[in-house]
Amino acid sequence: MKLRRLFMLLAFFSLAYARPAAAQLDPFEFEVYPVKTVGRGMLEVESLNSVVINGSRHGEKGTSKGTLPSQSMWRTAIEVTYGLTDRIEAAAYLNLAKPRGGDLQYAGSKFRLRGSLFDPGELPVDLGWYVELAYARTPKFDDQKLELELRPILQRDVGDFSFIFSPKFEKILVGSEEKEGWEFGYVSGIYYRWLRAFTPGIEFYGAIGMMKHPDPTREQQHYIFPVVRGEWRGLEYSVGPGFGLTHGSDRVIMKFNLGLEKYIGALFGPSTNPLY
Amino acid sequence: MKYLILALNLMLVFAGGVAAGTPTDDVVELRFENRKFIPQTLNVPANRPFKIKVVNASKEAIEFESFKVNREKVIGPGETATINIPALKPGSYDFYDDFHRDVPEGTIVAK
Repeated sequence: MKLRRLFMLLAFFSLAYARPAAAQLDPFEFEVYPVKTVGRGMLEVESLNSVVINGSRHGEKGTSKGTLPSQSMWRTAIEVTYGLTDRIEAAAYLNLAKPRGGDLQYAGSKFRLRGSLFDPGELPVDLGWYVELAYARTPKFDDQKLELELRPILQRDVGDFSFIFSPKFEKILVGSEEKEGWEFGYVSGIYYRWLRAFTPGIEFYGAIGMMKHPDPTREQQHYIFPVVRGEWRGLEYSVGPGFGLTHGSDRVIMKFNLGLEKYIGALFGPSTNPLY
Repeated sequence: MKYLILALNLMLVFAGGVAAGTPTDDVVELRFENRKFIPQTLNVPANRPFKIKVVNASKEAIEFESFKVNREKVIGPGETATINIPALKPGSYDFYDDFHRDVPEGTIVAK
């Protein structure tokens, strides 16, 4: 009986004082979105893929948001995007993951809207926005059930270079951390528009943890991806290795995203308002 | 939350600088009909932002696109769109209809 009480006390204190999981980024989406949205009436189908080449052997470490370790984890997000107006697109994602030694399995869903404000070149810095709801019922891959993500997107083109910066604000709506505040992270990229089929760039992804009490720098996740992207015969691609810069990051990740887009017809006429 | 407020304020500061970044009122007109751009060469002054008014006089949707200028826009049949072009260094910049790659490309010549 005493042993049972002791166990219950230990369980209570471990729950009461449990810290939220370390800073997390979205490992299903290593993609930097520009301000420009998919064209009005366009349908785009993308496959966002990554594999952790050198990661963690424990759950909730590195890019793992669940109980399974990140090492050798293969992740694929199938993303379908439609251009609602000249400035707003809607997208749905199906997340799939294949852990080491396991099968490819469902790992969650996401829905998002993304938009641009004003036309490109209207402002000194082009502005956009991003709102996403992520839904998961798979604690192996993500131990939170519903998450909201908000991002402003800032872009500036200077000559042949494009600079994109997008701070991320995330809030768990349903899950064990729903009482916690907002998490902060970032997605960023610099690209040199050399050839349409070959645009080199550098991308940055990071998560610092809760805004009120960021994780120690060592436990945060920060990645740098030298990438090449472009379009060849209608097929868009973005490929590159990612290197973790902190102890809390996976060491090496490889990403390769592919996409096809086709005009299927517009639901609405041309945008006359700079906001939508 | 302070980061969110900071980011929103930054956006407003950038937006507040509209006057500094607003393109000039220089507008060149470009028509798309009979599966070609007219004219095929747009001569514009270098180092000065301008606008291209694209009139799609065809019965098909087109996507005006220029990789080097980093602009793309879907324009429905019978629609007109105005596209901001940043100040260009002297040189030639291709544009094309991304929906119909067999359509001859056009060129913006900045000098």
